[in-house]
Amino acid sequence: MSVEQSQINMQRLMLRYPSGKIALSGVTLDIKQGQFVYLVGESGAGKSSLLRMFYGGIRPSSGSLMVQGVDMRQAGESKVRELRRHTGIIFQDHKLLFSRTVFENVALPLRVQGWKTERLIPRVRKVLAYVGLGDRLWSYPEALSGGEQQRVAIARAMTAKPAVILADEPTGNLDVDTARRVLDYLMDLSRQGATVIMATHDLHLLESHPGRVIQLHAGALAGDGR
Amino acid sequence: MNKKISAIPDNINLRLPGGFHLPPFGIQQVLALMIVCISLWAVGLIWLGMQGAGQWVGGWQDDIRIHVYLDAVDADKAAALKQGLEDIPQVAAVRQISAQEAAVWMQGWLSDVGMSQKELANHLPISFEITLLDEQAAFLFDDIRDVASRFGARVNEDEVNLAQAHHWIAQAKLLAWFASLILALAMALIISNTLRMTLLARADEIHLMRLMGAQEWFVRMPFILEGMVLGAGAGVAAWLLLWPVVIGTDEWLSTMQVDLSIAIMIFPLLLGGALVGTLGAAFATAKVSEGEVAVDE
Repeated sequence: MSVEQSQINMQRLMLRYPSGKIALSGVTLDIKQGQFVYLVGESGAGKSSLLRMFYGGIRPSSGSLMVQGVDMRQAGESKVRELRRHTGIIFQDHKLLFSRTVFENVALPLRVQGWKTERLIPRVRKVLAYVGLGDRLWSYPEALSGGEQQRVAIARAMTAKPAVILADEPTGNLDVDTARRVLDYLMDLSRQGATVIMATHDLHLLESHPGRVIQLHAGALAGDGR
Repeated sequence: MNKKISAIPDNINLRLPGGFHLPPFGIQQVLALMIVCISLWAVGLIWLGMQGAGQWVGGWQDDIRIHVYLDAVDADKAAALKQGLEDIPQVAAVRQISAQEAAVWMQGWLSDVGMSQKELANHLPISFEITLLDEQAAFLFDDIRDVASRFGARVNEDEVNLAQAHHWIAQAKLLAWFASLILALAMALIISNTLRMTLLARADEIHLMRLMGAQEWFVRMPFILEGMVLGAGAGVAAWLLLWPVVIGTDEWLSTMQVDLSIAIMIFPLLLGGALVGTLGAAFATAKVSEGEVAVDE
């Protein structure tokens, strides 16, 4: 069995907002490649802040944070940009572009990476077929159900084959069955080698889809296990 | 199979954002185009006016010469007058035009006068041609008139008036540049404001592209292109709108030997429009370059 590479490593990580509020304090964690990680905790525990630090949306105030080999405290704009190209992000509210078709939404990460149209078409068709939306390529997101919209968001996050997928409460607005289907896709991506980190409140999903559970409480690490 | 999977249905117009893809034009852009077009039209009119004024003054406006005529045939007096004129500061040279040369010129000008060159030469005064160093120098023409009157000579006042018209045209040219710059700034701000609205409407798209690692040029380029196309389009429209003005005034202008060349206006209007559009877009997109959240270090 091969030794799993560390994808995210943090030591005594601290985040303080300009307002003075401490969002994270002394968090030490190591997340390996291909792991499926749940980030759980009450609202304001620091889950979303931690996820945002993983893609350089905010920078740590102190401690160290290495994401895909990039030191997030020292990284310049170009490093962060490069890191984001290898990171898929899924939001609770999907953040789909409603004036664009499903195809155009999913093609966006590839466009950003400079893929030519002829090259990206088969890839987008493939990922949309994977999430069961192969027949909705030219629909607009508003014509889709909440679950379908979230599947489009998953397709968009995975289309550039990222090493890390960050999901901020992706099942928050979905019914139980739809949420399980979304989890099925994310689990499958994890099995294919992507590191999936998902912030959630839906603890019942842990029974059907087990993974590593990292619990945060008031910005501090309160638990880490299965 | 590959061919099938790469195909896009005929009725689908793929609109992928970012890079060199131009965003769709909406009512705001059309309104901005109209306003910028009117401003560029005004700039075009100003410079057509300058072109006409330049032609009216004559081709010699950059090489002004003043003529002084002495009726008395007195060589000593003529020499003293020449010396007096040469002593005036800002006079570069004084040349006495030979009677023969003046007669040739007169005969060419008055072809049906019916006199030989010799007869004409006998009727013409002694003429001096003054080349000026700086026709805008203070009291220059007063000094020339003073010297001429001391010797009973006359200054060609039409030439003096034209020389002074040149001075006024030079002043007007400065004002034209000033007005053009002010209008250019206003146009850039109008385009900038229009694009700011577009940017706000597409803030989610920009935010997403950045989250996906888009380079700054990739995010900004569609807006820069939009500004450039908007400005250039307004420039072409303004040029087309100049034609009715030129055609309508053609008859009146031809009485003043003014023949406006409107064709050459297309380049400054097109390039100027594109430039102000690009500047406006650069202003608009400069403010969307900030990062997400500032955090204590």
